[in-house]
Parts: sequence; structure tokens; C-alpha cells
Amino acid sequence: MFRSIFAAALALGFAATSALAAEWTYTDGSGNTITLDHVPTRIVMHANTAAGLIPLGIRPVGIYVDAPVAEDKSLQGLDLTGIEIVGEGWGEIDIERVAALKPDLVLAEWWPLQKAFSGLEGGAGTTSEKIVQIAPVTGPTQGASILQLISDYETLAASLGADLSASGITADKAAFEASLAGFKAAVAAKPNLTVLPVWAGTDALYVAATEGSSELRDFASWGLKLMTPEVAGDRGYWETLSWEQADKYQPDLLIVDNRSDATMETAEAQPMWTAMKAAAAGQVADWPAFWLRNYRAYAGALDELTAAIEAADENLTN
Amino acid sequence: MMLAAGQRSTRVPARAGGLLLLGVALVVVLFFSITVGARPIALGDVLAAITAPDPDSTTHRIILELRLPRTLVGLLVGAALGLAGAILQGATRNPLADPGLLGIQSGATLCVVLGISVFGITTLSGYVWLAFLGAGIAAVAVYLIASMGREGATPVKLALAGAAVTAALGSITSAILITSVETLDQIRFWQVGALTGRTMDILAQVAPFLLLGIALALTTGRILDGLAMGDDVARGLGQRVQLNRAFAGLAAVILAGAAVAAAGPIAFVGLTIPHVARAMAGPNYRWILPYSMLLGPILLLGADIIGRVIVPPGELQVGIVTAAIGAPFFIAFVRRRKLAEL
Repeated sequence: MFRSIFAAALALGFAATSALAAEWTYTDGSGNTITLDHVPTRIVMHANTAAGLIPLGIRPVGIYVDAPVAEDKSLQGLDLTGIEIVGEGWGEIDIERVAALKPDLVLAEWWPLQKAFSGLEGGAGTTSEKIVQIAPVTGPTQGASILQLISDYETLAASLGADLSASGITADKAAFEASLAGFKAAVAAKPNLTVLPVWAGTDALYVAATEGSSELRDFASWGLKLMTPEVAGDRGYWETLSWEQADKYQPDLLIVDNRSDATMETAEAQPMWTAMKAAAAGQVADWPAFWLRNYRAYAGALDELTAAIEAADENLTN
Repeated sequence: MMLAAGQRSTRVPARAGGLLLLGVALVVVLFFSITVGARPIALGDVLAAITAPDPDSTTHRIILELRLPRTLVGLLVGAALGLAGAILQGATRNPLADPGLLGIQSGATLCVVLGISVFGITTLSGYVWLAFLGAGIAAVAVYLIASMGREGATPVKLALAGAAVTAALGSITSAILITSVETLDQIRFWQVGALTGRTMDILAQVAPFLLLGIALALTTGRILDGLAMGDDVARGLGQRVQLNRAFAGLAAVILAGAAVAAAGPIAFVGLTIPHVARAMAGPNYRWILPYSMLLGPILLLGADIIGRVIVPPGELQVGIVTAAIGAPFFIAFVRRRKLAEL
């Protein structure tokens, strides 16, 4: 009798401690803390979050994407086998398929200006927002730096059980460090080089402000001289230039938003594209705009930019 | 008709004079369309660009490669929309008829959207043929649907078939755009209707169709005057009503199809201009057509010029300006005077 009670108490106590040990806590970008009684394993992620976590060994059961998967830059080159796609349009999450996956967590990025997680910007009342009734939603904050965001993903992945010392992960990080060193050296070697990030439409040329984009802020912090457009206070992070005004800024190097391949084609089809000396001289490169989420993709983008910077004439314009 | 014949002696000079004044006004608008833009360019430079073009000068290239083709496209598209609206209102005896009525614009839009999402076409000159194809298919479909049944393609059946086809095509377009952000990005500016980015090669693609359509349209005055009296009277006067309506419709489809191919679906010009022309020229289509042909580009290019200078250093698309000007103007116009019964 005594022995069996003792054994039961022991078992109970043991169960309690192990439950305590497996408890999982995360504080998201909005300051909200989530606590689960176990480390989540069935996770649904926004595409960008998946792009941050899959290379670190944390695989989601489902992904929702802002566009058809094939068009999503951040997921390019990642192995998505076995992962269900539960949304392929901005703000469009298939709630029934999410529910069928029985997730214990939803991970997305917190947008401080919109005060919303990726994919839930539509707010309360939308179908997508019902995802919060299926599983808690959390994730790191969009902010001043992609490098910081990747580091936040490392912390998150480690808490979810990832082994960050795995050889593939450390190799990616080492390759990135090498690419970054090469980028900084190329920038330092061309102190007069000015760079203009743009998006081209048939209606106008859109010039990006550095503070509107995390990777541009990274580039600037590594010494790259990005030109500063005059952005009207109420018009976000872009200056809209009529093609007649396309030569308002004369950078030595143009970088073109490469979320869509069509943007470069549109730019090159405009008669006034070459009114910018950099375009006329072929000093044009890709701007990996808004989609970098892991070391491998970042390293690839930096290598391309480094090559463009090294090839560019820094004194093309004054 | 007796009355019209009696009026002719007194009103013809007034109407011809009005046409002349509109011609002068159009020349003035054309002048401003070349000289005014998002980038201030001195008149001397404009003249130099035309008389002694220097391929290395950015200002010369802006005049020759941006403003000149844009002005010519605006001239032809404005004339085409004005004429197409007048013909469609006359042939269907529907005062609300415009180039959107026969499914022309929605057909063109769907075809361009399909071209972008399925075939990855991204250039404006690539859109031209797609838009033309879509406009033609939609117009033929509307005409065939309206022709079913005994009495053939009556105005009411054309309007209903046009509305139904427009709704059906529009929902397919929306379905594609909702699922493809990239297509939406590409189509956004085209769908508003604009003259920006229209280069000489686009002008060369559509100009033959626009000129042919304008020539055909100007011959339809007598047909439209007959149809205006009602199918029975027109038939009594010896008109072959169905054939004539189909001929006038063909001219309108060529015009509206080429216009949407060149500049995207521009609203209000085709609807508003024929009413203004009717107010100025009276009920006779032989006058309404040339008045509409001159008024169309005056409104379209006028709106484009406003759009160029209103949000520097950017521009506002002409489709937005015509809608912003056209809608209140049309409401005021309808409220102020009794509209001609068609």
C-alpha cells in the first residue's frame, strides 16, 4: 500500500518535472509572451518565416505564401517536399486546411508599423485572422536589419530544438561571413561609388528610401553610399519620378528590385532608362528587395553586388 | 427630315464654324501636350528638338521619344473613343452606351491578364495584340449572343448581352488577379488607362487600325441618322437595319479595340463626349461624329496634361484624371439640361 502510493507520487512528480522542462516560451515582436506546455513540432509558417527557419533545420507542416509559391523569392532553392501549401495569395489563408494540419503553433513576422503578423494584416473579421483560434501566432520583428532578423531566427530555431552547430548551418554562416568581408572590402575600395535602389514601372520610376528596407539599412551600415530620395511624408518609402524626371539622381550604380524579373525588363524598355548614366554604362545590378531571410541567400546576393561594385566605375558621376 | 432640310441653310455655317473652333482648340491642346510635362522644358529646346534633334540631349529625347508619341497616341485614342462612343450610342439608341458596353474593354483586359499570367508577356507593345484580340472576341461573342432569337440583335439585347459578358469576363479577370500578385503588379497601371510609356513602336502598331476605324466611322453618319428614328422607320426608309447596325458596330469595335490596346481601358471619354457633341451640334449624326472626333482628344490630352503637372515629380495616370473630371462633369451635365432622347 505505502509502496504503491510512494510509487504513484514519484511518478506524478516525475511527470510534473518533465512537463516543466518541456515548456516552451517565446516573446514576440509586439511584446506578447506565449507559453506552451510542450515544444511545438507541428508549425504552420508564413513563407518568409519558413525561409528563415528551414535552413536552420526547423521544417513547418504548412506554409502560407503571399503569391503563388513559384513567384516567392524567399522560398527559392529551399526543399519544400512534404510541406503543405495552405495559401497562395496576399492575406489568403485556407483556414480549413490549416485546421486539418492540427498545428500547435503559427509563426510569422511581426510588422511594427501595421501592428500585425505577416498574412494577418487584414485584421479582425477576415477569414485569415481565424487562424489565431486554431493555434497561437508569434514570431520575430521586422526591423532595422536582415542580419538581426536572421539572428532572431537562430534564437527561435534553437528554442524549437534546432542544432545550430550542424555542419550545414555553420558552413552557410561561414560562407556568409566571407561574402560579407568581400562586400565590405569592395565598398571600401570604391569610396566615391553612389548607389540608387529603384523599382521601374511603365508609369514612373520609383526610388527607394534606405530606411524603408532592412537589407538597404544593412548595406548602408556596411559602408555602401545609398542616395537619399526626397520622399513626401505621406507617401511611404518611395519617391515617384515621372520618366521625364528619371535623371534627377545620377548614381554610379543602379540596383533594381528583383522580386519580379519583369521589373528589369520594364526598366530596360523605357526610353529614358538610359538617361541615367549608370544604366547607359551598364552599371546595373539586382537589389534583393525585402525577401532575404537566411545566410545562404544573403551570401549569394552579396556576392552578386560585390561583383557589380568591383566592376563599376565609381567616378561615372560626381 | 423636311425640318432638317429647312434648317440646313441657316445652321450649317454655325456648325461648320463650331467644328473649326474645335479644330483650333485641338491644335492648342496638341501644342501644350508637346510643351508641358513633368520636366519643365523651355520652348526653344522644344523647337530645337523638332528641327535639329540631338540624340545625346536628354531633353530632346524626352520631346521626341516620350511626349511626341504620347501626344499622337492621345490624339488618335481620343478621337477613337469619342467616335466609338457616338456610334455605339447611336447604333444601340442607348444614351449610356460607351466602349465598355459591348464587352470590348473587359475582353481586352482579360486577354492582357492571361498574357501576363500564362505567357509571361510584360511589355506594353506585347499587350497591344492581346488587347486587340480580347476586344474582338468579346465583341463577337456579345453580338452572337444578342443575335440569338427571332428579332436578331436589338439594342436592348445587345446591352444585356454586353453587360452579361462584361460581368463574366470581369470575374475571370478578378479570379486570376487575386491569385497572382505578380500579374496584378504588371496589370495595375495598364488597367487604369494611361498614355505614359507609349512609344513610337506602340503607335506604329495601332495607328493603322485607328486610322481605318476613324475613316469607317465618319461614313456611318447617314446610317446612324436612320437608326435614330427607330428600326421600323429606318426599314421603311429603305435601310437594311441589321446590316447597317453591324457595319457601324464593326467600326466601333475596331476603334474601341485599338484604343484599349494603345492606352488601356480609359473610362468616361467614350460616354461623355457624344453627349457634349450632341449638345453643341444637334441631333444629326453627320455633325455629331466629327464633333466627337475633335472633342475626344481635347478631353483626353487635356486630362493627360493636367495629370503630368499635378503631382510633381511624378505623374497621375490619364485614366484617373478623366474619371475624376469626367464623372462630376457628366453628372452636372445630365442635371443641367434635358438629355437628347436617343
